[in-house]
Amino acid sequence: MSLRLDYVLRETASNFRRNITLTLATVITVTISLTLLGAALLFGDAVDNATVRWKDGVEFIVFMEPDISPELESDVRRQLEGSPEVSGFTYIDKDEAYAEVQDLLGDSPELVDVITPERLPASFRVKPTDTLPERVDELAAVFRAQPGVAKVVTASETIRAIEDLSSGLRQRVIIIAIVLLVAAAVLILNTIRMALFSRRRDIEVMKLVGATNWFIRVPFMFEGLVQGLIGGVIAIPLIWLTNNFFSVINDDVSLELLRGFTVDPSRVWTLGFQMVGLGAIVGTVGSGIAVSRFLDA
Amino acid sequence: MIRMENVTKVYKGEVLALQNATCDVQRGEFVFLVGPSGSGKSTFMRLLNKEERPDRGRVFVAGRDIGELPSWKVPFLRRNIGCVFQDFKLLPNKTVVQNVAFALEVIGRPRSVIKSKVPAILELVGLSKKMHNYPDELSGGEQQRVSIARAFVNRPLILLADEPTGNLDPNTSLGIMTLLDRINRTGTTVVMATHDRSIVDKMRRRVVELDRGQIVRDQSRGVYE
Repeated sequence: MSLRLDYVLRETASNFRRNITLTLATVITVTISLTLLGAALLFGDAVDNATVRWKDGVEFIVFMEPDISPELESDVRRQLEGSPEVSGFTYIDKDEAYAEVQDLLGDSPELVDVITPERLPASFRVKPTDTLPERVDELAAVFRAQPGVAKVVTASETIRAIEDLSSGLRQRVIIIAIVLLVAAAVLILNTIRMALFSRRRDIEVMKLVGATNWFIRVPFMFEGLVQGLIGGVIAIPLIWLTNNFFSVINDDVSLELLRGFTVDPSRVWTLGFQMVGLGAIVGTVGSGIAVSRFLDA
Repeated sequence: MIRMENVTKVYKGEVLALQNATCDVQRGEFVFLVGPSGSGKSTFMRLLNKEERPDRGRVFVAGRDIGELPSWKVPFLRRNIGCVFQDFKLLPNKTVVQNVAFALEVIGRPRSVIKSKVPAILELVGLSKKMHNYPDELSGGEQQRVSIARAFVNRPLILLADEPTGNLDPNTSLGIMTLLDRINRTGTTVVMATHDRSIVDKMRRRVVELDRGQIVRDQSRGVYE
């Protein structure tokens, strides 16, 4: 079949001009849905990255009573040293804790003023040998029962809370994105149907003189493809913006728990191109359905 | 060239358009299809380029049973059949030369062929001077000449004309008939549906008369009634 490229491009360009508002609406919908989908996937990746870092590090923190006697404190220390289930720990004394609080609350000096090193607890940051959440809980419970221990916070609880939150959020955003993507496909279908309708006389003549269905079909499907592609390409910078938002979270000291909440730039690019591909597929399928229905009718 | 064997066509299960029609048209013949509106003339034509399928019977074009033609081959059948209509079916946003070129363009003919064939056919129909006019700048007769040029530019084996003079005054109609006659003399089979008594009587060609879907008369060198 001799389909000339210049013919296809000419037809597509004139259809774009004819239906500029509808084309714009379609492209915007494609962009929004692909951006949402891309951002949701990226968010999931970032959460994965953040939690992976936590697994290598501290799993729980043992806070001592602020007024604990040195004897009781060294009992805890000995117990940590003697336990085969503890692979290592860091001792944070009152002064170090105070320095951290100053960092954390640097923006609100009035809060820092009421805190003195004496009122802050010393703590042990513990790395257990076994990082299974159940084991960590068991081990934490052992220290929670020790005299002189104020409380034990396991990081895994927090991490699990984040994971739960994020997977729920991620699922919802992905569902919204898919619904929007279907809406985009339907919009493309309608745009192409409008284009077909405005050119029905041409199509009638084309059929009459023996143009093949593919010859009639290709310019319209190409139009849908281009709409999907443009939507996808615009989505790439928007997905980058979401990624920048992650690094804002990451740089915020008060959200120390989320450190490592970041995604490799190459992953962002890959995801961007996948979204462009998805846009192209949605565009081609939407327009293909429209054209087939029109030509068969 | 054309053969219909016991063809019956019923629309929506009740409107009988053709009833057991059998007809043979030889290569190079000129045939008038006459009869009142709704007698099945248009259906006869539409069956030939497979715009409609018969409910019973078979239709042959150039020796091939077109009922057995897969749908993807239908466009290639239509490249051998030119069509002319009462309402011309020209594209209003294209000039004369673009309208004719369009017919070649969409069947994938190379640009060089289009460049040589289109002016030649416009010369044949006598519209060389109006090549770059738009259809609404032409008279009815001129528009019909453009539509004939478009139907004939690809040198089809068969030319189907559905009341081509229906919208034209008698003098202009005669001009169109002269043109169709010339096309017929090149060996193209012409089938023309018409209500125009004076033309049929003047031309004295084969006449096939339809009435309520049945062929009631088939007469060579016939008249309208």
